[in-house]
Amino acid sequence: MSFEDSDNEVDQKVGSPSDATSTRPPSGTNAPLLKSYTYATPLPTDLKPDQECILGVDEAGRGPVLGPMVYGICYCPIDRQDELKTMGFADSKTLKEDERDSLLDVIVSRPDMIGWSVRVLSPMDISNSMLRQEKYNLNALAHDTTIQLIRDTLDKGVNIREVYVDTVGPPETYQKKLEGLFPKIAKITVAKKADSKYPIVSAASICAKVTRDDVLRHWIFAEEGIKDTISREFGSGYPSDPKTVQWLKKNMDPVFGYPNIVRFSWGTCKTLLDASGTAVRWPNEDEEDQRRISTLFNRTEKDASELAEQKRQYSTFIAKTPPRPVPQLMQDMGLKSVIDF
Amino acid sequence: MLEARLQTAALLKKILEAVKELITDANFDCSDNGIALQAMDNSHVALVAMLLRQEGFEPYRCDRTLALGVNLVSLSKVLRSAGNEDIVTLKADSSNDTLSLTFENPDNDRISEYELKLMDIDSEHLGIPDTTYDAVVSMSSAEFARICRDLQVLSDSVQIDVTKEGIKFAAKGELGNGAVTLKQAANVDKEDESTVIELNRNCSLNFSLKYLNNFTKATPLSSRVTLSMSSEVPLLVEYKMETGYIRYYLAPKIGDDV
Repeated sequence: MSFEDSDNEVDQKVGSPSDATSTRPPSGTNAPLLKSYTYATPLPTDLKPDQECILGVDEAGRGPVLGPMVYGICYCPIDRQDELKTMGFADSKTLKEDERDSLLDVIVSRPDMIGWSVRVLSPMDISNSMLRQEKYNLNALAHDTTIQLIRDTLDKGVNIREVYVDTVGPPETYQKKLEGLFPKIAKITVAKKADSKYPIVSAASICAKVTRDDVLRHWIFAEEGIKDTISREFGSGYPSDPKTVQWLKKNMDPVFGYPNIVRFSWGTCKTLLDASGTAVRWPNEDEEDQRRISTLFNRTEKDASELAEQKRQYSTFIAKTPPRPVPQLMQDMGLKSVIDF
Repeated sequence: MLEARLQTAALLKKILEAVKELITDANFDCSDNGIALQAMDNSHVALVAMLLRQEGFEPYRCDRTLALGVNLVSLSKVLRSAGNEDIVTLKADSSNDTLSLTFENPDNDRISEYELKLMDIDSEHLGIPDTTYDAVVSMSSAEFARICRDLQVLSDSVQIDVTKEGIKFAAKGELGNGAVTLKQAANVDKEDESTVIELNRNCSLNFSLKYLNNFTKATPLSSRVTLSMSSEVPLLVEYKMETGYIRYYLAPKIGDDV
């Protein structure tokens, strides 16, 4: 494909009806990011059945306290991997934002040869995973997400021969784990800084990084009441960014903490909440082994009949008023009312 | 209409001291039988049941049942202005939302009158079933208070073991362990200090010392206390008064070594 061809591709995209998103990567979202999602391109158009491919995996946004964490995979036929090098893929972190954006444009302009997908993990899902009772740490989340992306690609019928994975944890055990899970893949390489060593990982890294930047830049707050008024000066999201820290300090609600752009499980966040949040005492917190007397004694007959009467009155009242809709935020966050009348 | 005259304010003061830390608001249920109170603490772990029978008052008149919702902290503040020997008269009317208290000194030359605003309290009455307990231990109330106080230094909870030999209170904590054992009927001469055990079955239960220490605020009301226990059933700590009682019920803790 010549340079002109790829230009045409871009032109076509600009002229397409979805004009508003034309400068944005296709993997972004126009809805509030509450649930994690996966974006995947169709198979490369020139890919022949059973043609051997290499696949790279990288992540973006592991460190920040704000916004999603994104896993990207990128694949192309083995015999065309040299073409990637000529396209200029390098470590995404050493590139400037517009350089990265233009490299994603390069990837997008080659649907004949390159396929890719990203999984965008919402801050809410990250926090929930890390804070739930049986802790699910970031590494486990990283591994499971990567495995899922590879599996999805295999399920589409791509014949993956080689996989290159960038990791922050110890590469050896991770590599063994992947080799055990994907015995049919001939070569699996897990390495630190793989994105600077392997162009395919570098490409995957671009997909992940550009997607993360886009989601964060166009972040849509789901929280009613603050969504249009809250400051967007949250910076890069890294805890080392003074702008981010400033934003976190200014936008804390003493009871509810932060909107869902924030990863509550981060140390930065916990420190700030401990320092200026209002402490909530949960009656059961430190008395888990203490039984309630109200469960050991029964409510008296008289009270039971009174309760039944109240219930009856309440239900006739209910019948006259239409059921109240569940607030959108409660729906989005999977909350439900547990008070039983 | 309630009118109840109590010979000494001291009794009412002691009762208030005994309940006001556990519960803040409660209904005084007045009937021709006397004045009763039942309430759970905020975390629904303990229950207080108090009864002052009508014989304790002279005169006592209550022609229809009344529930007087009282903030116990306020009532105890008002009672502070009464002398221990003062005669107290309580008056309330169903048409009125106040409780009137009159204090007369023993020389009958000083009369003070207070009106306390009543409140609507949504109380949850629990049915307390008649229980045959595995172990009923009667002991000195001062001794019980001392043990609870001493063991609180070590732990938040106490394990109470009752056998026919005696009752053992044991606490395990970070700084060490401690245990106090009282032998059955060791003090036959001093009836007030003896420990008497009626036992159907040995039992071993865990309780919060914080709550037990709260219960011992009733110590001035009686020289004796009765602990009644069965597994899986709330502990009953009873202080008997001449014409009534204060009973505390405490849900056991789920012990790890029981």
